[in-house]
Amino acid sequence: MVDNNQLKEAVKKTVSRDDVKYVVGYEKGTYGFQATPTFAYKPEDSKKFIFSPLCVHNLAVFPMLEEKPPLRKGQEPDTRKIGVVVKGCDSRAIVQIIQEKGLDRDKVVIIGIPCTGVVDPKKLEKMFPGHIKNAELKDEDNKFAVTVDGKTTKVSKDELMPDKCKTCEYPTPVLYDILIGKEIKSTKKEDYKKVNEFEKKPLKDKWEYWEKQFDKCIRCYACRNACPLCYCKECMVDQLNPQWVRRSVDLSENTAWNLLRAFHLAGRCISCGQCERSCPMDIPLMELNKKIEKEIREMFEYEAGVNAEEKPLLAMFKPDDPEEFIL
Amino acid sequence: MGEKFEPNIIGFLCNWCSYAGADLAGTSRIQYPPNLKVIRVMCSGRVNPIFVINALQQGADGVLIGGCHPGDCHYERGNYLARRRMAVLKKLLEYTGIDPNRVRMTWVSAAEGVKFAEVVKEVTEDIRKLGPMQHFKRENKW
Repeated sequence: MVDNNQLKEAVKKTVSRDDVKYVVGYEKGTYGFQATPTFAYKPEDSKKFIFSPLCVHNLAVFPMLEEKPPLRKGQEPDTRKIGVVVKGCDSRAIVQIIQEKGLDRDKVVIIGIPCTGVVDPKKLEKMFPGHIKNAELKDEDNKFAVTVDGKTTKVSKDELMPDKCKTCEYPTPVLYDILIGKEIKSTKKEDYKKVNEFEKKPLKDKWEYWEKQFDKCIRCYACRNACPLCYCKECMVDQLNPQWVRRSVDLSENTAWNLLRAFHLAGRCISCGQCERSCPMDIPLMELNKKIEKEIREMFEYEAGVNAEEKPLLAMFKPDDPEEFIL
Repeated sequence: MGEKFEPNIIGFLCNWCSYAGADLAGTSRIQYPPNLKVIRVMCSGRVNPIFVINALQQGADGVLIGGCHPGDCHYERGNYLARRRMAVLKKLLEYTGIDPNRVRMTWVSAAEGVKFAEVVKEVTEDIRKLGPMQHFKRENKW
């Protein structure tokens, strides 16, 4: 359990610094179980900050969304830092962005939270349907204590956690300036069980499955917007000249988009699961990401978002990379 | 219909080795299947996976990428980078149910006209066996 008072204190301290513009964290949302991202510009704002297993968002997107309007003559650029509250997986996103030089290390203040697993909002909605007014969820003795309208039920974590948390190897942030609470050692191991099982199917079955999934896509690009690592100034699907992927929503363009999205995250995806969480059509995007993650672990012995000093996977090579597929 | 299926293959050949190798095959009058449509690129490292997916969308049944032998790249490291990219792309295609043999990569140097002809023969035969690419061909032509 994270001590919320300690978090509030840390946020207050950080916002009070002269060189910090704002801190982004979580607050309790308006309805039901919701928790929403929130900003603290002044020390008083830190009162609303919380952390609970409902804080599912990856706030590493916010430093990348920072608008930089052109400066007026004689105007000094704003070089203040941004504070971010991160879980274990989110901190890996920040490490990966720093590795790609998308962000300077000294432009962010990272408030790390050792995380014991968050919930999957879709699973929670299924278990407790309807718009509930007063709902709370706490992490108590390795179970989620769900309080709905005053009644508390304990649900085992496996039932409510998303797949990414069940195999989380980095519960404690990899990189942080301030850590709230104690470090947690991971006891879980990524075994790619789902991927391995799916791989064994014949090609025809695989395509049948993905055809159905890609056909559902409405190309809202929520997966791209929620992803902390999709921060290209102009995404290839927005490009008009040349227009690689057309605007029409059909199987061909949807497949192209989904394959290219997965490929563009090769060696960069830190499996925070934001794409899948934000997908309104429930496309299992994480399966594609996990597959690539598994392959690059096997082929290149590389893991994204762990070491900020390393070079990005596809920008480097080894002379003895696998090449059995080459004629 | 009843006609025999003739595969449509797009070849991205590197200007310095594979393209010259194809040229040598031509000037040496070596026979190879006419199914390969060649697009010259300056380096195999120029081949963005978006090109491959786009070719498959627009009616190609297969894609062949030709580069210099490792260590011989005109730009020193382009072919190494392309090799990594294609290794990942092939795994991704296989996972989504598209035969990875539709995307092939080869090292052909400027002196290997015979090898180039053999590679094209092999790739054409492979793709002939796989049949037309119908997974995500673009339907609207406008």
